[in-house]
Amino acid sequence: MNKNFTPKIIYFMCNWCGTGGAESASAHHLYYPENVLPYRVNCTGSLSTVLILRAFIDGADGVIISGCHPGDCHYEDGNFRERKRVATIKSIIESLGLEEDRIWFRYVAHGEGKRFVDTTTEFNDYIKKIGPNPLKERSDT
Amino acid sequence: MAKESSVLIYGTNLGGYRAAYALCKKGHKVILLNRGSYVDDIRNQTLSQLPLDFCWMCGHFPQRLFKALGCVQDFYNAELLEVSGQAGDFTVKFKTKPQVVNNFICTECDECIEVCPEVVGDRKAIYVHPEIGWENIYLIDWENCTKCGKCEEVCPTDALKLERSEEVQEVKVAAIILALEYNDPTIEDLKNFSFGKSPSIVKNSEIARNSLLTNFVKDSVKLPSGKIPQNFAVVVTPHFNNHGTEYESYNLSVSAAYRGVRLKEILPESDVTIFLKDYRGFGKRHYRWYKKALDAGVHIEKVDDIKASPKNKEEVNLQYEKDGKSHEKTVEYTILINGQKSPNLMKDMSEICGVKADENGFCNIKPFSCSETDVDGIFAVGEFTGPKGNPEAIWEGCATLTESLKYLGETNFKPPAPPSLRNVDVEEKKIGVFICSCFGTFNDKMDLNDLKETVEAIPDVSHAEIIKGCCTPPSIKETAELIKKSGVNRVVLAVCTPIQKLLKFRKTVMMAGLNPLLSEFLRLREDVINVHKDKVKMLEKSLTLIKAAVAKTKKSVQNPTLKESFTPHALVIGAGLSGLTCASEIADNGFQVTLIEKNENLGGNEKYFDKQQKEYLDKLISKVKDNQNIKVYQKAELKRMSGYAGNFYGAILSEKKEIPIDVGVIVLATGAKEHKPKEFLYGEDQRVITQTELQNNLNGKKIGNQVVMIQCVGSKNDEHPYCSRVCCNQALKNALSLKETGSEVTILYRDMTNYGKENYYQKALDSGVKFIRFEDNKYPEVKKNADALEVIKSDGEKIKVDLVVLSTGIEPDEENNRNLSNLLGYPMDKDGFFDSDVNVYPYEESIKRLFKPYEWATNCIYPVGLAHSPRAFEESILTARDIAGRALILLGKKMLPAPNAMYIAEVKDALCMGCGICVDVCAYSARAIDIEKKIAVVHPFLCDSCGSCVSVCPNDASYLRDFMSNQTISTLDALLA
Repeated sequence: MNKNFTPKIIYFMCNWCGTGGAESASAHHLYYPENVLPYRVNCTGSLSTVLILRAFIDGADGVIISGCHPGDCHYEDGNFRERKRVATIKSIIESLGLEEDRIWFRYVAHGEGKRFVDTTTEFNDYIKKIGPNPLKERSDT
Repeated sequence: MAKESSVLIYGTNLGGYRAAYALCKKGHKVILLNRGSYVDDIRNQTLSQLPLDFCWMCGHFPQRLFKALGCVQDFYNAELLEVSGQAGDFTVKFKTKPQVVNNFICTECDECIEVCPEVVGDRKAIYVHPEIGWENIYLIDWENCTKCGKCEEVCPTDALKLERSEEVQEVKVAAIILALEYNDPTIEDLKNFSFGKSPSIVKNSEIARNSLLTNFVKDSVKLPSGKIPQNFAVVVTPHFNNHGTEYESYNLSVSAAYRGVRLKEILPESDVTIFLKDYRGFGKRHYRWYKKALDAGVHIEKVDDIKASPKNKEEVNLQYEKDGKSHEKTVEYTILINGQKSPNLMKDMSEICGVKADENGFCNIKPFSCSETDVDGIFAVGEFTGPKGNPEAIWEGCATLTESLKYLGETNFKPPAPPSLRNVDVEEKKIGVFICSCFGTFNDKMDLNDLKETVEAIPDVSHAEIIKGCCTPPSIKETAELIKKSGVNRVVLAVCTPIQKLLKFRKTVMMAGLNPLLSEFLRLREDVINVHKDKVKMLEKSLTLIKAAVAKTKKSVQNPTLKESFTPHALVIGAGLSGLTCASEIADNGFQVTLIEKNENLGGNEKYFDKQQKEYLDKLISKVKDNQNIKVYQKAELKRMSGYAGNFYGAILSEKKEIPIDVGVIVLATGAKEHKPKEFLYGEDQRVITQTELQNNLNGKKIGNQVVMIQCVGSKNDEHPYCSRVCCNQALKNALSLKETGSEVTILYRDMTNYGKENYYQKALDSGVKFIRFEDNKYPEVKKNADALEVIKSDGEKIKVDLVVLSTGIEPDEENNRNLSNLLGYPMDKDGFFDSDVNVYPYEESIKRLFKPYEWATNCIYPVGLAHSPRAFEESILTARDIAGRALILLGKKMLPAPNAMYIAEVKDALCMGCGICVDVCAYSARAIDIEKKIAVVHPFLCDSCGSCVSVCPNDASYLRDFMSNQTISTLDALLA
């Protein structure tokens, strides 16, 4: 494990629950690694496979997606849709030579700041352990 | 005399909040008296009694929005002192003391916390409420506060004043709504369960509250020693407490099942036992939770009595009685699901406004009404009128609107017109970055000037500036002027939080004459300042985020908000109790209603009603027939219907003639029917009858010596996995009547699901009715032995009987419902009733759904009464009045903007090949294939901007106006550059 390695992590969060979790974290001053970059979408269900793959191709070392808890999606079932898609993406990135665990999907509700921060730290530690995204070194991506 | 138009709401239970929302929407000013010092100070039901561990209620009542618009006036630490006058013209005197930290003005900069010299444990003497997510509530620990005044000095917006004085105000209002909160049982009330004596005995609500930040995880049940228990008991306390100590609201059994399931989820190896008397889950889909708990391996013990006492520091001893035998069990953790007590303010309210209490100490409500108290013009909602679950409380809120409108004068509130926006398509792209300093407070946390300079150097940025803020009226104006002056046509605002303050930020941009689609709000405070410590890295991260936002706004395109007229006409399908109530309420307020009924007669399930109910219904029918605004079609049905909320058009078929019809809202009141049993010799022997047949035969004469009633016939089985709600109460009432004539009555039951104001169960027990429980899968048998009729109980014992009465449940008219469902594109649930947005499986209580901008929640198609789920008489009226209220809000509007304004999905015509995947995936039926062009089209009034269509489009033809894929790609590129 390279000690100097700071992973680049994209955190896709839905506008309702995921973002809310991040806000609760901020309200309670819960700290998390600076290298986690948030990207807000309206609903996780609107994130297409292409966009997530784009993040990996752009050199993201890991991607987390957070939507509302089951049954609580602001838009019927966007969170389920995305969860399903993540399963597909896992197999796609595996075929690209990436570990399937470079993408996580975790439900975070509005008030769950602690859960949000725990997710980022856990994921950051995990990515640090498995090392940088090998696609970064490739010229054909 | 002119009537007043404003309404005063005292208390903050869910019903009150909902009523406030509804009244504001309808255009009446609301005065909201909060007894506490912040939104959730006096706990209301949502947080405490929800089966879920999160609520988000504060987020779904846009109190701030209405307050900003001037529609809601709220007072904290308020107390009602005096009420005089009459309905339509009350004069109310009340006492109030402003919040120490006025959270409407507070910008949540945390400066006050930083300067506070008093450290108390891991916080200061002024601190943020640890359990509230939406609004940061600043509390002061008066015990440790030295009143040094440093916080007051440092507050940039003067929101904080340590000394606030009490004042007495007098207002004139048309109606008063009492929405007082419930009382939680005390330690004394829960003494049988040794509550408060051991850290291993806790209330469910406490667990839910403590796990708000983390969700329900192992730590939520951690003992003080750090041990995670493995052996749990969940006890529903009102089942075992004396009548009068605490009352059971309808969601307690389901809360227990839910908690059991969640425990099994987080600790699969654990042993979870639920102790209750009967599983009284009679809400929509509650029985499915029972099944789910059993499937998850949770033990459900139906016991007669239970007591808990601490065995040692970490163990609890449970002693319980089951089937006449005593049992003992030791567990490591006991969760108490407690009920509600009658409100202690009832007495004061009786003295102040004259409302009367019922025999249990809750506020009395007039028969056949939802919220009218004994005093005209004074209403009571939520748990003030009886133990309530969330849906009932919320339905009452809107029902109150319906019931109170007759006392209210002309509307006195109209939101201001939006500012005019300029066309920037002709201009060269100029991006301005405005960095909020939160009234100078961000400066201490990071070097904003440095950030500004670096931002100015970004090639695409033509202007960068540090602003004071854009969340208070003066600062919004100031920032809007700055944006205008800088001449930019695209704006990046680096601010605090666009969830809570989104509308203010959009307003800022709009006041600068720009379409809000041309702006991006990034969360400098939430994503950088408050969550990181390293200043260099903070600067780096904010720069990355700003670059990403600039990349996004560079590609944004302006688009207008659409407006459309709303047809002030309602269609009610079905003329049963709910349909008639709905039609009459809507028509009474001056709107046209078309009422269609499949059968010849109005009245629906009339034969199941008792005498008083029949009288009420007959009056209602004649009222509907006489009403000029209601056009009734008997023997008619819906032929076709297309269109969308506010603009439905179709035709009805009446006497073989097609009559075209244009309506704004559609109410589904199609009702349901009685289950006709095939078992228990029903139909073969005349001595086997249903409860309704018995009810209609009761005439004070003795019908038989030995009568046996069998409960749950055709309910709670695989075919109908729900509780039919009405049968237990009906059986108990009939049993009492039979008992009066001298018959012996035995009730064979699975779970005695009696509820409501009168405790018929206790009365039946007192009068000597015998109750014998049978297991879920061991129904008794009815046999004919020669000429005698006998019932064989599950234990094999035979009872010779003269009469067997079957408690048959309610079943939906599935075929009819399916037809309508197909015609209207409106979903049905798994049980064959109509689904509704507030009832998405598995969370009927999910507050987020209940509070969704509700009049649109179901796109103006509303199921009521039995079409929605099994309901008793008064509950059907409640749902009907709730829906009437929702409809009235909309029917009064002439023009309505699209619900999501300019934020909708669109299609790039050139790329769309009309495959139709997006049409299938759209949860809102907002998409269709244009027959001529053979491409997908979006209906802006139905689109909720979720983006499901975007992610499935194989050609990238579909996009959200504010999240276009080229925008996302540039943003990602910038983030990862």
